[in-house]
Amino acid sequence: MHVAVTAVGADRPGIAAAVAKVLFEYGGNLEDSRMAILGGHFAMMLIVSLPAGTDAKALEAALGEPAKKLDLIATVRPVAESPPEHADGTQYVVTVYGADKPGIVYRVCGALASHGVNVIDLATRVVPGGQPVYVMIMEATVPAGADAAEIEADLKTLAAELSVDVSFHPLEAETF
Amino acid sequence: MPAREVLRYPHPTLKSPAAALEPGPAAIALAADLVDTMRSSPACVGIAAPQIGISARAFSLDVSGHRRAKSHHGLVVVINPIVVEREGREILREGCMSLPDFTANVARAATIVVEGTTPEGEPLRVETDGFEARAFQHEIDHLEGLLFLDRVSSLRTDVFPRKRYD
Repeated sequence: MHVAVTAVGADRPGIAAAVAKVLFEYGGNLEDSRMAILGGHFAMMLIVSLPAGTDAKALEAALGEPAKKLDLIATVRPVAESPPEHADGTQYVVTVYGADKPGIVYRVCGALASHGVNVIDLATRVVPGGQPVYVMIMEATVPAGADAAEIEADLKTLAAELSVDVSFHPLEAETF
Repeated sequence: MPAREVLRYPHPTLKSPAAALEPGPAAIALAADLVDTMRSSPACVGIAAPQIGISARAFSLDVSGHRRAKSHHGLVVVINPIVVEREGREILREGCMSLPDFTANVARAATIVVEGTTPEGEPLRVETDGFEARAFQHEIDHLEGLLFLDRVSSLRTDVFPRKRYD
């Protein structure tokens, strides 16, 4: 069985170790995971495979001990082992940056969703400075049959409206 | 000679430094296998002997026809190559047939001079830049047991999972 584990808390040494220890003791195997500092908080997102029949609630309770000690919010939820596959398409990189304002992610992702574009990786960061710059970088799959030029035109129109800059280009990686 | 199977990590040959190779009939036969394997792999611009399970310092490379290749030397097979000069630094997202699930931003020299010999033993000196220089460096890394993941400096900005291309 697979569970989604999240844990978030003010960054300090030992968080990753404490959470991973509990998962290890339950026979868990950390498969795909991301851990990063977001706004000073250490955030963990993990997909963990566990022996069949493991009680997710008991695991969450077991995480409660390090969570209490380290002041973490920790959750465990069962997830499907075989999530739905998405249709093939072309991977694109979308970069949006400019003065921070509410609604950038909502509007840009909304425009992409209206074309059936699937976001597969997204990160945002506010880069501090005299005038903070908001940067969003994402990878997204443009489905076969969608019109990339039309998507780009829509993004440019939206960027002008939001007074941000946007770039939209195919992800290019060269295989050797 | 038939195209060989391209090994994938974690096959140990991919992570072992390859042995020096004597020019001659064996090297010529290996060169033919490398070229056949390269030609039969879609979009492949180069392949090193360890990738087909032979721990020997040889690779074949042909970037002609690739849209990124500005200058090139056509089909090149080099044995016992060494980079004798390198200059500049460029970053490009690389993938590898032996590690198909990832791509990564890899910094490599922009211009290099490589010396080695042909499989027949003729001295070879290639001065190249851009995409071909990158391909040379990627293949030479294979002879050292290095994969592009060994060249990554930051997981946060440099490594990206991707869909398998096969």
